[in-house]
Amino acid sequence: MSRLLSNYGMLAVLLVLAAMFSVLTVDRQAPSGAASGRQLAARLAETLQPDDGVLIVVRPSDEECRFAEALRDALEAGGYRVVDVVSGDPADARRALVRVTDTQQPLAAIACSPTTADWSVFEDLGRRYPGLGDVRLVRPESTRWPNFLKRENLINVANQIAVIAILAIGMTMVIITGGIDLSVGSLIALSAVVTTALVRDVAGANQATALGMVLCSVGGIAACAAVGAFSGVMVTAFRIPPFIVTLAMMLVASGLAYLLSQGQSIHEVPDGFISLGRGQLAGIPNAVLLMVVLYAVAHVVMSQTIIGRYIYAVGGNVEAARLSGVPVKRVVLFVYLVGGELAGLGGVITASQLKAGSPTYGQMYELYVIAAVVVGGTSLSGGEGRILGTLIGALIIAVIQNGMNLIGVESYTQKVILGAVILAAVLLDTLKRRRG
Amino acid sequence: MAALQRWTFVLGVLVVVFGGCDSGKNAVDQGGSPSTGGERVRGTVGVSLLTLTNPFFKEISDAMSAEAAKHGYELIVVSGEMDPARQQNQVKDFLVKGVSAIVLTPCDSKSIGPVIQEANRAGIPVFTADIACMAPEAKVVAHVASDNYGGGLEAATAMIEALGGRGKVAIIDHPIVESAMMRTKAFETRIAEENKKPEIDIEIVGKWPGYGDRETSFRVAQDVLQAHPDLNGIFAVNDPSALGVVAALENAGKAGKVKVVGFDGQPEAKQAIKQGKIYASPVQSPGTIGTETMRLIVKYFEGEDVPAEKLIPTRLYRREDAMADPALP
Repeated sequence: MSRLLSNYGMLAVLLVLAAMFSVLTVDRQAPSGAASGRQLAARLAETLQPDDGVLIVVRPSDEECRFAEALRDALEAGGYRVVDVVSGDPADARRALVRVTDTQQPLAAIACSPTTADWSVFEDLGRRYPGLGDVRLVRPESTRWPNFLKRENLINVANQIAVIAILAIGMTMVIITGGIDLSVGSLIALSAVVTTALVRDVAGANQATALGMVLCSVGGIAACAAVGAFSGVMVTAFRIPPFIVTLAMMLVASGLAYLLSQGQSIHEVPDGFISLGRGQLAGIPNAVLLMVVLYAVAHVVMSQTIIGRYIYAVGGNVEAARLSGVPVKRVVLFVYLVGGELAGLGGVITASQLKAGSPTYGQMYELYVIAAVVVGGTSLSGGEGRILGTLIGALIIAVIQNGMNLIGVESYTQKVILGAVILAAVLLDTLKRRRG
Repeated sequence: MAALQRWTFVLGVLVVVFGGCDSGKNAVDQGGSPSTGGERVRGTVGVSLLTLTNPFFKEISDAMSAEAAKHGYELIVVSGEMDPARQQNQVKDFLVKGVSAIVLTPCDSKSIGPVIQEANRAGIPVFTADIACMAPEAKVVAHVASDNYGGGLEAATAMIEALGGRGKVAIIDHPIVESAMMRTKAFETRIAEENKKPEIDIEIVGKWPGYGDRETSFRVAQDVLQAHPDLNGIFAVNDPSALGVVAALENAGKAGKVKVVGFDGQPEAKQAIKQGKIYASPVQSPGTIGTETMRLIVKYFEGEDVPAEKLIPTRLYRREDAMADPALP
């Protein structure tokens, strides 16, 4: 038990955070699918007289339209009259009510979805529409369930952190060798701008083909790989501290992104461009799938392969590693190259999700990425760390941000809390290490 | 066992931290809506602003909160802090939470499109304040903003007045944000028009990007002063830039000699106008933007037809206005 805790203690933190946000975000849930429509029809039937008129009002979303259809079908099958189905905004609802009063159709009930029932257009019906008579407003019964635990939110959390988590794989490797890479945030911007600029200028803008867009994305990733390799060369061949090299590359990459894009966001991309970032496979967004696959690969590489062992060896004791025949320079070059490539991939995903490339992307991401790695239990002094720990660290950050948005903590407070939690997590880790 | 205890302790700390922030939030809710007392909440409005480090947006959000409380709406205010990806995540969280309406000041007028489309598909109405969405496929119910073009014209008038009709002028602009670009365009247009009159001769020596940021504008303005030592006036597209310019002028010992015209009307800039460091600013009314946005949302849910755009006029604020302003010390 205590060995498990000390190995994956952060998993416990993640679970406690999740449990806490589940409790704090319990909220009225609006059931509005077809089943809910049939259920409301059954409830209405208990009080309606035959031939009574019902007006159905829903928002124009797929789910609410299914609700409205099921409700209408069930009511009509029961012999009631559906006066009108409004699928629109409150103004449409008002116009429908005015039509009903003008034509003096008898109306017994307005059937709403849980969301439209709250519209203030339905308050004081008697005063607003004197000709309407005695009309009841009915809505489906709501259930209580945490917003945090809704399936769509859990996917949402994973999707939101995918880019940072993917970058954190490379950062974990870099930090295990005892280095640091501050340029990854700017590389996101560079990759996004290079990719979208290539799509616009080379692949034919809005007419670009899928293959063309893939090649452009490869171009964006290659640009970042080149920057990463350059950092690696500076660190290995010239022995410049990684902090300085990557700080410089952070400025260079950001500047290049602004230069290439002229400071504008590049949005001349085809609609198909969003399929990488927002496409789904079996309900799971592509970005999340990509993240899972990359973590699986990285876990195997770090724990089962020679290069993985070399990376730990270099970070543990560089001199000992060299004497044991580890190709130290090539290993270090490799981790910066991988870090650059993954940052490039992150930039492509970001551009795809936002359907545009802009030099403002990725600001401060290096700090979130480093935070994820450190919270995940990787030591900044090198030699220790686990890839899956980093995934947990990234998820902790994602859960805190998402949870605070859900319970409505304002922006200023969010920063303070996020900082406090990162510090608490690392403090915990340090205490554990000192003891062990 | 000791390890286990330590974990329990830290987890306890986390719980206390979050427990504390939740009760803090409740206290704000109660404090914010005294007038609605026992009335039920009509709905929740999710607001994601460009940044909360510029007091302009804080004023928008405060005015919106006050107006929301009057009508029984709850407000959640977050800020994208210039990061389009973060703003997208915040809007997604709003969608999961099932807010009644969303108000945005987009961090990027184009990149905001996809997530607004998501809100469209969920049937949740989206409003924009101050900064418009420029993605054609995204549907926004209404946009509320200052009349930036009109304000730019006023700024040019103020500059001509400050220079007595003759001199060299530089512009510190913000080449990314649409609203700031409109101001620059209007400024140039009016100067060009006025130059046709024989008694007016204003030369615009160039435009430099200050990105609406005080520190950047400070550095840029220093360079501009080096390049054009005979400069007579500088138009800065917002107050943080204007204050950066003032700092650069003070450094160069030219404060008050080179006339500065800003834009916005933040308290600190008004103070500078009172001290004669800035000649004048077309004053925006972020409070009115916030209030009007919330009023449009209320109207929308009342079932009234809402105009697609509402422009709030600016007003030229000069030294005599500052002297008479009771809000200034």
